[in-house]
Amino acid sequence: MVTAKKTVSKKAAKKIVVSSLHGDINADTIRVRMYRIGFGDCFLISLPVMKRSGSEDSHYHVLIDCGVHFSGDINTMDKVIGNIAAITGGKIAALIATHSHQDHISGFGRFSEKFSQFDIDEVWLPWCENPADPLALKLQRKHAALAEMLDEHFNAQRTINAPAANTPQRNAAVAAVVNLSGNQKALLLLRSGFDVGAEVRYLGAGEVLRDPAAIEGLTVRVLGPPRDQQFLSKMNPPKDQRYLRLGAGGGVNMDNALRPFPAKWITDTGVENYRGPVLTAAEKEELKEVLADTDLDNLAFALDQVKNNTSLVTLFVFRGKYLLFPGDAQYGNWKWWLDQEEAEDILPRISFLKVAHHGSHNATPKDALERMGEGQLAAMVSTQSVPWQSIPRVPLMRRLSEKATNGVVRSDWLAIDDAPAPLAHTEPPMPKKLPANFRKGAFWYDYLLKLK
Amino acid sequence: MAKVDKSTYDTPSYRPLKVYAFDPSHGRSLGNYMTVNVRYEGVEPGPVGEYLEVIDYDASNDCYYEPVDLNDAAVMLGGGLEPSGSDPRFHQQMVYAVASETIRRFEFALGRKIKWGFRADTKGKRRLRIFPHGMQEANAYYDRDLRALVFGYFPASELDAGANLPGQTVFTCLSHDIIVHETTHALIDGQRIYFLESTGPDSLAFHEAFADIVALFQHFSHKEALLEMIQRTGGLIYRLHVDPEVNPGREGALAQFELSTSNPLVQLARQFGEALGTRAALRSALGSQPNSKDLDKLYEPHDRGAILVAAVFDAFFSIYIRRTRDLMRIARAAGALINPGDIHPDLANRLAGEAAKTAEHFSNICIRALDYCPPVDILFGDFLRALVTADYDLVPADPYGYRAALIEAFRLRGIRPENVTSYSEGALRWCAPEDLKGMPAPPCEGLEFDILRPSTSEQSEKNAKTLINYANKNRDILGLSLNEPIQAHSFHPVHRVGPDGRLKVEVVAELVQQRATPFDPTESGSPRFFFRGGSTLVIDQEPGKEGDVRYAIQKRLGQDDMQNERLIRQRKYQEHIHSGMAQTTYMDEHPLEHLSKSRRARSMTFNLIHRGY
Repeated sequence: MVTAKKTVSKKAAKKIVVSSLHGDINADTIRVRMYRIGFGDCFLISLPVMKRSGSEDSHYHVLIDCGVHFSGDINTMDKVIGNIAAITGGKIAALIATHSHQDHISGFGRFSEKFSQFDIDEVWLPWCENPADPLALKLQRKHAALAEMLDEHFNAQRTINAPAANTPQRNAAVAAVVNLSGNQKALLLLRSGFDVGAEVRYLGAGEVLRDPAAIEGLTVRVLGPPRDQQFLSKMNPPKDQRYLRLGAGGGVNMDNALRPFPAKWITDTGVENYRGPVLTAAEKEELKEVLADTDLDNLAFALDQVKNNTSLVTLFVFRGKYLLFPGDAQYGNWKWWLDQEEAEDILPRISFLKVAHHGSHNATPKDALERMGEGQLAAMVSTQSVPWQSIPRVPLMRRLSEKATNGVVRSDWLAIDDAPAPLAHTEPPMPKKLPANFRKGAFWYDYLLKLK
Repeated sequence: MAKVDKSTYDTPSYRPLKVYAFDPSHGRSLGNYMTVNVRYEGVEPGPVGEYLEVIDYDASNDCYYEPVDLNDAAVMLGGGLEPSGSDPRFHQQMVYAVASETIRRFEFALGRKIKWGFRADTKGKRRLRIFPHGMQEANAYYDRDLRALVFGYFPASELDAGANLPGQTVFTCLSHDIIVHETTHALIDGQRIYFLESTGPDSLAFHEAFADIVALFQHFSHKEALLEMIQRTGGLIYRLHVDPEVNPGREGALAQFELSTSNPLVQLARQFGEALGTRAALRSALGSQPNSKDLDKLYEPHDRGAILVAAVFDAFFSIYIRRTRDLMRIARAAGALINPGDIHPDLANRLAGEAAKTAEHFSNICIRALDYCPPVDILFGDFLRALVTADYDLVPADPYGYRAALIEAFRLRGIRPENVTSYSEGALRWCAPEDLKGMPAPPCEGLEFDILRPSTSEQSEKNAKTLINYANKNRDILGLSLNEPIQAHSFHPVHRVGPDGRLKVEVVAELVQQRATPFDPTESGSPRFFFRGGSTLVIDQEPGKEGDVRYAIQKRLGQDDMQNERLIRQRKYQEHIHSGMAQTTYMDEHPLEHLSKSRRARSMTFNLIHRGY
């Protein structure tokens, strides 16, 4: 574990960060509030304070992510942060930023003044964001360079109106690259603890935190991101890769483009004495298509997946209840933990699941979901069909509704002006009545998990 | 003086062409300049011949480079153009020569003409197209849909370029290994078209491993390099590192002859690997120590393939040691020191001869085993059985214990064939149908092949009908499913001369069946893929035994139930693969449908990005 500050003296001196609770829950209830924020994540978890502690506050508050994708923004974030301030009384025990994608952390940058007014005890980030970790730093640099290259190339193709620039696949790829951009301010603030003296901790798989941020009775098991070699090897972009690439304005980017031979070797196939083989126009196109574009789109998706896989995955164990918050972890991140022996034990006990990556295809391993549910599973999906129509994935949602006997709720059921509604054929369909223990708010859903 | 008439000269039997024995980064050292005697054929500028069409079109720069005319007197008189990094015509010559030589090796080992796995082009020609400078990319690959090998070029790493100049242009088409490797991909695809389907962790890994095996064995035909390495290693040619020519003093190595170097014989594509900044060759014949657990851990095709490569080379080196032990003993008895750098030239020559001969044997055994592989869904264990059977058929006696060495090497690496009772040679050999089903298959009569000429199209058609009729009547005995139609995917006569001088004639036929099967049987409306099964039949053509089915190498289709382990395994693997595919997250298409498409289905995780090499 890497901590930015020393913990020992602080813990003893620290005042207990709790607050009086607005709303209708009693002292024996965990509340998970999912805000409808657009395509993004913002969850507030409120854990009851033990009566014997003598505190005047009834709950501790943990905020997990606050971000929205540029192309899926529904302009509720201002109100969301206002609500968080009101509910928590400005006191947040732990603020978790699962990974540095726009749709998870943009709010921390955009509303930095507001967050600087909170009393934040601890900030948790995945180890991959630790600026003091050479390995993390190296990975970040590589990923940033690739993202920049892709961004440049996609822009150039759009400028010259290349056919590849107008495919659905390209639109999806562009949105994936956008998600990686403009996160610097938010990251800087998170790493500095918002300059309000919050302790910053960088966490990795295998760590166990007992009573973290002075939350009595809470144990947090960190399940991801792993640091093992197999995982890391998948985080590495190719070295010195160079693709057919266009620079600004649509010209071939010359700083890295090679002309392997001097001009004297370049031959005109039209001249009379040329006797070598010639490709037809169609054959040339076929070759170029194979070489160039499909792979660049895929590279954008791969890069996006790599970032999702840096997600800090936390399992909250609180008075016998297991709540799993996997961020946007994809298969590679999950795999490390699923291979551990304890997974066999823990999976059936999970009582609440924040569905990873907005319900996308790769973010909830089938064999993990199949083993959940015995603990009377409830699940929440923060999702929206814009900007990617394939999210949330229908078969996954269908199976989830079967497994989660205590109910599944999607954030986009909440009707908000101009915000996209769920697609017609999507799953699960919005019920007339919410499942038991779910409550609807102005721009959020609550799940109330009773401890007795 | 009589008028010279061209036609009075005999057609030459080969065309000498110069190539790099390794790649340009080795310079002139270690016999890096070598001449390949390419089987003679008439060629057009390109070169364009019967099997190959070299097209020097560069898609990154959208231009053509001047094609080489191998018939130009200036080229012919010099035995081909001199090796040169800066003349694209030498590059064309080199890809043509090395690919042609690889094809020749296959034809020699298989005992027949090879064919490609793709359709003919619009002119009706079935030729493998080679783009020596197809794109700017650190990659090279075979693509069936393009009917082509595409080689890339790229700038070497700026930071850590090994023997290259930082930023210099590296041409993958000048790496002997890469050319052999990619050509081999195309050759396997021509013999077993379904091996490119990713039906399990072994299938693509097998493709990679086999291509590496062929490329590595080719090293041992370079006499000069081999002699040098025998000198430098004291005959221990499997050593990864070579002692310096002079041992460094106490100050450490101060001059280049005091530096130890790597052994080029056992590594692949040094320049390519170093140019990427890896400080090493791309891959080696010798991975880690034999570890039977590796197979459970390594799934990336190149990594997993390395296990198979290591097993084959382990066997090869043990046989080499066994075959040269007597020479070493004789030399020692005469008082010779056998230290690196001190080997008597005569002894070095004899050792080189043994190494080259053994390498050729192994290379042939491996290639010949392709004919004894099942038609679909190959496992490493199947390949071991194919190796053992193929070699037994040709050399029953096995005085040097080649097969025992192979079996032991595979065992050490944890490669376990399915459905065999032991690692004994008898248990590993494929069975005749009667050993599986308790009754013999009736002879397959009426196949007609001409020993001296390729089959005419009428002959082929008639043979296909005969085979299908025969298979239809004997489905169960041959391991075929009762309902699905049978395709006779390929069938060809094979002629081989054993060490006892006997000519063996057999027919090898691939029968394939397929069934549209849901990816997920529990999901209604799940998309489907073709689950394939089939048998490879080896049919005797010797007088007296004509038509006897010697082997029926089976992958049964079976039913879609819990007993069908092969289907269960394949589904699980597909699930595993698509879970790692990034693009499936954002595209509407059902992710598994990617798998049933060909090229564009390449899964794109960072470590799989080297899609070809």
